[in-house]
Amino acid sequence: MQRRALIGIALAIVLYALVPLAFAGNLYLMSMIVAALTIGGVALAWALLGNLGGLVSFGHAAFFGVGSYASALLVMKAGWPIGGSLIAGGVCAALAAVLVLPALRLRGPYFALAVLAYAHIFRIIATEWKGLTNGAGGIGNIPRFPVVFGYDFASKTGGYWIVLSLVLAFAAIYAWVRDSHAGLALRAMQHSEDATRAVGVNSQFLKALMLFLSAFMTGVMGAFNAHYINFLEPDYAFSGLWTMLPIVAAIFGGYRTITGPLIGAVVVYLLDQLVFKALMPIGHQIVLGALLGAMILFAPEGLLSLFRRRRLQQGGVPAAASRNA
Amino acid sequence: MLELRDIRVRFGGLHALDGVSLSVAAGEIVGLVGPNGAGKTTLFDVISGTVRPHRGTLHFENADISRTSAYQRARRGIGRTFQIPQPMHTLTVAENLTVAQRFGTGQVNPNTVAEILDLVELTDRASRDAASELSLAELKALEVAKALATQPRLLLLDEVLAGLEASGKRRFTKLLADIHARYKPAILIIEHDIETISTLCPRTAVLNFGQLIADGAPDVVFSQPDVVASYTGAVHDA
Repeated sequence: MQRRALIGIALAIVLYALVPLAFAGNLYLMSMIVAALTIGGVALAWALLGNLGGLVSFGHAAFFGVGSYASALLVMKAGWPIGGSLIAGGVCAALAAVLVLPALRLRGPYFALAVLAYAHIFRIIATEWKGLTNGAGGIGNIPRFPVVFGYDFASKTGGYWIVLSLVLAFAAIYAWVRDSHAGLALRAMQHSEDATRAVGVNSQFLKALMLFLSAFMTGVMGAFNAHYINFLEPDYAFSGLWTMLPIVAAIFGGYRTITGPLIGAVVVYLLDQLVFKALMPIGHQIVLGALLGAMILFAPEGLLSLFRRRRLQQGGVPAAASRNA
Repeated sequence: MLELRDIRVRFGGLHALDGVSLSVAAGEIVGLVGPNGAGKTTLFDVISGTVRPHRGTLHFENADISRTSAYQRARRGIGRTFQIPQPMHTLTVAENLTVAQRFGTGQVNPNTVAEILDLVELTDRASRDAASELSLAELKALEVAKALATQPRLLLLDEVLAGLEASGKRRFTKLLADIHARYKPAILIIEHDIETISTLCPRTAVLNFGQLIADGAPDVVFSQPDVVASYTGAVHDA
């Protein structure tokens, strides 16, 4: 326990202090890291729904977009403070997820397809409801993060600290849910829903809770992104990339773990933007697709499982201990 | 305690249950027998809420539960096992019971979990093994233990002795008698072994082609010609 606490403190120092110290001078790289963590937050939310709720979603772009627009509009039209509007963005995304509830009865690809269609509906609403969203023209000059105690959180490093804090908070919530009795029941449900219902588990309710939590997290990430980039348009906020990239990241890193989607997001996005894009300015995402295909074939449990396998071969961490990474 | 009236279930053109009425008193042990396909497991599915009947009503402890969900019935005190054991595979044996107790009763009491594990002789495997690593006999014991963890007042046992060797069957029969003596639940048990039914159950109901054709003391029921023709005949044929 003491060792884990020490590792946690060391990791916090590295993430909060050393990363900004090392890269703050390179604004391009910092913005890439912030974008990677934003995708990581959505990947974590997507993985939570998949790992605990047993549901594969192709529609997280809808929650991201709703969170973006809700937060931007609350600040610009209702004068909300940004801190409150970030939470409200998540709440609005969770409320939007209420419309998905009927689809919870669907299984496998049918749920995924239903949510994909649902995401398109929100994109159309954002485009057509011009009185509220300014339609395809988008919303510009969205207020940036404020100056707090003399520090400008609108800077790249300020944005990095905010998104890092959000992602770590979500990871802690995910771990808490996973280790709770509800988490045990959710894991059990994936093998036999009938068996869990027979001992009193309200499986539909628990799945709905995971959907709301996942939508909330995604909505908060969308809200953060809106104030970080200061501009929104429907094709950007509801872009399929906000679904695709997190899925790729989660599968790449290992969607059954908490750290996997985050590490996957950082590795995948930085590799794509800093390496593949430099080598292949057009069509660089082909390499990403090939890498993902290779991962699914050779390490379906994700990148982390490769390291774990190696450590096990060297007589390191027992499987049971590494299961909850 | 349990009152079924005119229960009808159809699967397409097949009448799985055709006007079944049955009552079980508090603390009573009732055997449910019949040839394969008679509708026994379907009747359990109806009582536990997994299958909705097309017609008929269910009352449990004077409340109409006809329209309640499976999880609500478990919380009301109806526990069940499955013919093919359905453990929560990735969880340990103790976690299986913890989930059952937490959601079935609304609280977690480690002492009760330990007591049940001791009763079904799974204490040694409680926290060490995932449920998927258990033998068939242990899986059957876990099925019963999970149901017990919900503190049922009605326990539905679906062929819990099936697949066990003679000594295992004797041990399990004694376990069920111990459970009844200690917790006093009403028990409705599906079993093909007539000796077990005669030992455990003062009363036996017989289903055939979805209809209840006999209900009474085992020695009386098993001497009825239509029961002999349907149930015992089918067994001999098998």
